[in-house]
Amino acid sequence: MLEALSLTKAYNGHTALNNLNLTVAAGEVFCLLGANGAGKTTTINLFLNFIPPTSGTAKVNGIDVASHPLESKRYLAYIPEQVMLYRNLTGIENLSYFTELAGCEKYSQAKLLDFLTAAGLQAEAADKRVGSYSKGMRQKVGIAIATARNAKALLLDEPTSGLDPKASNEFSELLKRLSGNGAAILMATHDLFRAKETGTRVGIMKHGNMVAHMKTEELGHADLERIYLEHMHD
Amino acid sequence: MIRTVARKEMLEIIRDGRFRWSAAITLLLLCGALAMGWQHYRDVASQHEAARRDTRQQWLKQGEKNPHSAAHYGVYAFKPRMPLSLVDPGVDPYVGVAAWLEAHKQNEFKFKPAQDATALQRLGELTGATVLQLLLPLVIILLTFSAFASERELGTLRQLMSLGVSRSDLAWGKALGISGALAMLLLPATVIGVAGLALTAENGALAGSTPRLLLLFAGYLAYFAVFLGISLAVSAKASSARVALITLLGFWIFNGLLAPKAVTDLARSIHPTPSTLQFARDIEHDIENGMDGHNPADSRAEALKQELLRKYNVDSVNKLPIDFNGVRMQAGEEYGNQVFDRHYGALWATYDRQRRIHDLASILAPSLAIRSLSMGLAGTDFPQHAHFSQAAEQYRRLINREMNMDLAHHAKGKPVYMAKESLWQKIPDFHYEAPGLGWVVRNHTLSLVLLTVWCLAAALAASWMSRRMEVI
Repeated sequence: MLEALSLTKAYNGHTALNNLNLTVAAGEVFCLLGANGAGKTTTINLFLNFIPPTSGTAKVNGIDVASHPLESKRYLAYIPEQVMLYRNLTGIENLSYFTELAGCEKYSQAKLLDFLTAAGLQAEAADKRVGSYSKGMRQKVGIAIATARNAKALLLDEPTSGLDPKASNEFSELLKRLSGNGAAILMATHDLFRAKETGTRVGIMKHGNMVAHMKTEELGHADLERIYLEHMHD
Repeated sequence: MIRTVARKEMLEIIRDGRFRWSAAITLLLLCGALAMGWQHYRDVASQHEAARRDTRQQWLKQGEKNPHSAAHYGVYAFKPRMPLSLVDPGVDPYVGVAAWLEAHKQNEFKFKPAQDATALQRLGELTGATVLQLLLPLVIILLTFSAFASERELGTLRQLMSLGVSRSDLAWGKALGISGALAMLLLPATVIGVAGLALTAENGALAGSTPRLLLLFAGYLAYFAVFLGISLAVSAKASSARVALITLLGFWIFNGLLAPKAVTDLARSIHPTPSTLQFARDIEHDIENGMDGHNPADSRAEALKQELLRKYNVDSVNKLPIDFNGVRMQAGEEYGNQVFDRHYGALWATYDRQRRIHDLASILAPSLAIRSLSMGLAGTDFPQHAHFSQAAEQYRRLINREMNMDLAHHAKGKPVYMAKESLWQKIPDFHYEAPGLGWVVRNHTLSLVLLTVWCLAAALAASWMSRRMEVI
């Protein structure tokens, strides 16, 4: 579903991402690990076509994102570290706006509310303006947008950083449900524990290169941490 | 998709307290300016009507008098004000609205409110036109500067773009949403303005003003669209909302405050006009010494005398069958008219050249185009002032000719000649037909074209910049 072919991005001489080859199939959760600046966000931005690749291609559902920026996004949902919403609109208005713009069918108010509560937002918060939301609540609206759009591929950029453990856990459960429904998920994260829990595969990135790449079922928590630290060491 | 964006933008703007405040203040100022313009229009219209009747009555009832004294007594001609002048008083406060038509002289206009105003008033006069040309663009900038720049800063733009929204749809939606919010401000003002027009304009004058009103409306909409387009383009391009705001405020200051002043000064220095004193002296000099400097008034009178003596084949003025004084004065009048035509013609040609520079400069600042167009459609621009002046001058010449000819034909041999009301009756009442819309539009073709060009350029800039904007 998500495919990177020799994907490379350089900013005036500095290589942010070097020759990444990666495939995330439907139902898979691929976690990108690595220090800040390792190339995780660059990878996600390339899939979103927010930045043009220096070389190589990123494909979503077989469609090249650079040459077909609008079509490729039809299958894609994106949840950044901070889901940003329009503060003067309510949660439900935000959801309605984002789903309408994504070209979804026009959902009824009740249906929109269902998406929000299914994402873990309290029903009474849905009609409040987003300006009063906590980060966790906004992330939930982000999830609701992704589910309402019925996205086949999810790009998550450190979606749980800053969330309390309970919210973080709820978020992981939601991801499991989405991938269970056949979504391909690519998630950048610092949270080794979550990566092991929710990920089916993990890749460790360093200086723009993917230096290691493994299945989580073959690993224990301690193993993942050890391998990660070994790579970070030098 | 455009409609979805537009609806959401409008909803957001309306929920924003800053918009509600600035809209309320602008609406208040606009309505205040229109109300003041309306009041002024009504006062002036009724005063003019009364003064017009009085001046006519005074002329007719001046009693028995020598015709030349009557010509000196003179009449006033009043420039009729168009109903739309309540939106834009134009040059009227500076050039005046009434001409005193008397013997020998083409007078400057009288009753210029700007003469009585303090410098402070001159700067800050609140008219519908100032609010529309200066304040509304500011409101548009404040509504629009953050359109893309803030969304980029906040990160909502990333999320929008991750949905696969077309950028041009987004830009159009934003333009529409902001227009919708503006319409909530402009619609009440328009309704009030049109109602005011309907109230003031008796006997079908409103119907007569409708084409002008529609064109004026379209002109201002185009002017607002220019600001909307430019603000969107800058917002898409700027690295931050702050930069966008500062850039746009810079443009606003240039457009509304610097350019009009600078262009007026520039036009004046390229095509200088003489001072009032110098102008009057030049005319006096030419009448006294002849336009070529070799034909002074005395020798012109002498030549006229010789010509008449030859014509009637007599040897002294006393033997002429007509009154020499009347003929001499009419000849002097006609010579004076030539001098006036030459000097006023040159002056107006200079003003016209200044006006062309002003209009041409709207390539740099769209405010200059709308300024010119707005005055033209309100009937208060300089060409329409000159048009009226010329009509008034023709009327003055008619009076003087009639008076002098009456003298020439009837005063012969009478030590004291008095004319009666029958002569005053021979002078028709002054009737002025203001130029039509076609005439006005022809005078402002350049402004119309440049405003359209600005409008298209702003739309292109907005679509170009939004298609190329950075998402992160």
